[in-house]
Amino acid sequence: MRPLTLRRLLLQCLILIVILFFVVIVALKFGAVPVSLYALGRDLLRVIFGQSSQISTDYGLIILNIRLPRILLGIIVGASLSVAGTSFQALLRNPLADPFVLGVSSGASLGAILALIAEPHLALSPVFSALLTPLGAFLGAAATIAAVYFLGRHEGQIDSTTLLLGGVITGSFLSAIIMFLMSTLTGSLRGITFWLMGDLSTPLQKSVYWFLGIGFFVAAGAIYTTASDLNLLLAGEKEAMHLGVDVPRVRLVVYIAASFLTGLAVSVSGVVGYVGLIVPHIMRFIFGSDHRTLLPTAAIGGAIAVVVADTLARTVVAPTEVPVGAVTAVIGAPLFIYLLRKRLT
Amino acid sequence: MTAASSHARHLAEASRLANEIRLSVEQVSYAHSANPGQAPLFTLEATSFQARPGEIVAILGPNASGKSTLLRLISGALAPLSGRILLDGFVTHSLTPRTRAQRIAVVQQESTLLFPARAWEFVLQGRHSHGRSLRFESEDDVLIAKNALAQVGAADLSDRWMDQISGGEKQRIILARALAQQPLLLLLDEPTLHLDIAAQVGLLDALRRLAAENRYTVVVVTHELNLAAEYADQIVLMQRGRCLRVGPPSSIYQRELLEQVFQTPLSVELGSSGRPRVTVLSGTQ
Amino acid sequence: MKGFSRPLLRSAVFVAVAASLSCAGLTPAQSAPAISSASPAFREVTDETGRAVRVPQPVNRIVSLAPSLTETVYALGLQDRLVGDTVYCDYPADAQKKTKVGDTINPSLEQIAVLHPDLVLVTKGLNHLETVQSLENLGISSYATDPHSVNEISSSTRKLADILGAPEAGASVAREMERHLADLQKRLAASPSKRVLFVVWHQPLISVGKHTFIADALRLAGAISIVDSEQDWPHVSLEEIARLQPDFLVFAASHSESVPSTVEALAILPSWGMLEAVNNRRYAVISDAVNRPAPRIISAIEDLARQLHPDAFAEKPESGKGKMEKEITPRNQASFAQSFFLLAGLRKDSANCGGRVCAR
Repeated sequence: MRPLTLRRLLLQCLILIVILFFVVIVALKFGAVPVSLYALGRDLLRVIFGQSSQISTDYGLIILNIRLPRILLGIIVGASLSVAGTSFQALLRNPLADPFVLGVSSGASLGAILALIAEPHLALSPVFSALLTPLGAFLGAAATIAAVYFLGRHEGQIDSTTLLLGGVITGSFLSAIIMFLMSTLTGSLRGITFWLMGDLSTPLQKSVYWFLGIGFFVAAGAIYTTASDLNLLLAGEKEAMHLGVDVPRVRLVVYIAASFLTGLAVSVSGVVGYVGLIVPHIMRFIFGSDHRTLLPTAAIGGAIAVVVADTLARTVVAPTEVPVGAVTAVIGAPLFIYLLRKRLT
Repeated sequence: MTAASSHARHLAEASRLANEIRLSVEQVSYAHSANPGQAPLFTLEATSFQARPGEIVAILGPNASGKSTLLRLISGALAPLSGRILLDGFVTHSLTPRTRAQRIAVVQQESTLLFPARAWEFVLQGRHSHGRSLRFESEDDVLIAKNALAQVGAADLSDRWMDQISGGEKQRIILARALAQQPLLLLLDEPTLHLDIAAQVGLLDALRRLAAENRYTVVVVTHELNLAAEYADQIVLMQRGRCLRVGPPSSIYQRELLEQVFQTPLSVELGSSGRPRVTVLSGTQ
Repeated sequence: MKGFSRPLLRSAVFVAVAASLSCAGLTPAQSAPAISSASPAFREVTDETGRAVRVPQPVNRIVSLAPSLTETVYALGLQDRLVGDTVYCDYPADAQKKTKVGDTINPSLEQIAVLHPDLVLVTKGLNHLETVQSLENLGISSYATDPHSVNEISSSTRKLADILGAPEAGASVAREMERHLADLQKRLAASPSKRVLFVVWHQPLISVGKHTFIADALRLAGAISIVDSEQDWPHVSLEEIARLQPDFLVFAASHSESVPSTVEALAILPSWGMLEAVNNRRYAVISDAVNRPAPRIISAIEDLARQLHPDAFAEKPESGKGKMEKEITPRNQASFAQSFFLLAGLRKDSANCGGRVCAR
């Protein structure tokens, strides 16, 4: 009998963080433009010691202004999607659940499309118009979250089955609207295809990064407070209630927080698939199903996955870029099949 | 240990010493209303009984007699339409799920785990309601879980995966989880349904022993006439949502009464253990 | 809070460190004039989308993000200043030797940045606002064109030449275009316009809208596009086309050999068989120069005019079609794809993804 202790949890997280650190270093090194490790190290140190004005080389600026923000975005998106996926798998009691199953991504995509359609008609300053797509996506996500919540209620509480049905149907409905718009408004919507496939190159201001980071920690933190409850919820709802879990409250908190994380990720990076589905399974495979371990390890694992995928997306057919969502799908699908078979044996 | 739970413990001690009533079901009824416009359908009419620490109460009756509804009301999963249920002076339904789980343990018939878990992990879940909501299990918790497994005689199963255990052994693990909650009240709904005879007897023997040693109050819903007669200290006889009689087996096991309730001819004798024994007469009068 | 915030705290520390690095890194770029070569002189212009652009003077290093703009730079004789273009920039042949920065939709910012361009050329019909914004964040200026008619192509070329510091070259190229066009108009003055359907793609049937420069080019070639749509790339219904019965179909293809077999395949279909132009094999094939708003579009216009109105060109025996074929290389296949790449991509995506737009 070896119950989970704080020390073991921290050790597991530490190992993953170290891996993430090396992945980030590799991601900073590789790209369409080759950068030497020495130059990289020297410039990073210069930045840390506040001598960023001394970075005169293009490479330094490339690393800091292009690659690092992108890597940072990849970390946040990967962590958000993984935590959301883990949460939905627990909430819906379904190992096939992923962050997009409840229609949030369709809502975000529709919001982004509507923003793109509206943009030429609104006289906006360049700063604001740059933010219009992410903002539209986020509002679309929020509206979908609310709509699905009201659809998914049964006798005043969220019910897993009803929620799943409501979410899937809403997602399909919104996708149909998106298809309609895309086929009739081909002129203004050329940009959307790449974004829909997952794209980490959206230009964002510093303040947006802060918002993303704080949003992630608040939402993921809220979910983490229910980690023990989620363990019990997976044993059955009635059992969980009899073991002391306030099921309606846990469901509500997890639903809102996980949907918020999904909306956050989708509004800045489009639909990056498979991460929210597979990373939780991999972490479960390695570390077990206790959500007190699963949630943080899935977050870090998701960050690693997206940064790796993005690095490949940037370098595999340089200088052209492949959408991140395509890389995650190409790697993710076979990996999922492999995990499935392993589980069956 | 928080102040509230130690207070509860003192009350439990006091009631044990004074042999006072622990569970009091007072004029409790429940109605199911499918349609707001329609008149409510009473699944349970006003029912009352009481139970003491160390007692085993059997809620006995044929199908659809309201037994499960009564149990769910006692467990706090449902709110009664009228009346109230007191556990050591606390109205059960008004407690939060967490405080309720510290006092009442419901033993399920089956366990449906979505992801694989080991037996000790499963039993440890019983400790969830004690202590803060987000925490790691302490040494005490581990000890209590081990103890619970030992009490049901399943200590050697502790490292096995739950989906590799079945039948009577699994039922014991589920019982161990309930014991890990350190409850005052144990509730079981048709626990013998999926068990073979040896397992049935094993379970009920264990319940009797545990009730005596740890002064649990045990409420069992069953339709097994002979098991109820053999193990229960008190029987609540139900038919079609109404409680017909409450009392020890000797007062319940009257031939005419039982034939009326169970709609089948039978004969009642005194068994070798001193408890009534029922024999069902087949087919012809 | 014992079991709660420690692992998250560590992640927080890491992310905070990374965030502060990136914030520190972001600041110098926004304050300094950044990566372009140190030249203090600037010129404020307004590009064709109405944006204010600060163009460094002189413009010595250009990156083009559209094939039409690459062609224009060559037409202006400024190819020595072109330091980078896209993988689709294939005309003239020399353009293929330039450093590639990626495709038109999502070019590699790193590649562009490391080339130190003074100015990046984009066009509204092909490139994305995001690219322009990302370049702005790095302190690189972009100039956008947006021509909707052949006249606008000519004036756009003039303006671009002026900004790049070669106004005489611009004027001369524009004059040549205008002269050529005037000559064409004279020849075609006597011939009535032919009613045509310009086929961008046949399955689904996509044509061009009336506000596109392609529609204008058709008009100048003595043809009228029967599709009257406000959208730039409308999906048209075959029934409507059958009702209108165009005189000719017009295909723009880099590999003209594939067109006859395409038409043969269409002729078999009952739906396409409704069109007399298909039954009588009345179609014209021109080079894909018609898809690019660059000076070379004039040659495609003339080519089409020759095919539609052969009697107006009686003194020139050899068909313009042959001339075009010399310039076709296998790489041009890509530019054909590029013109409707996104459209095809859009259709494929929505077809493949079933109930969800672009699934997992």
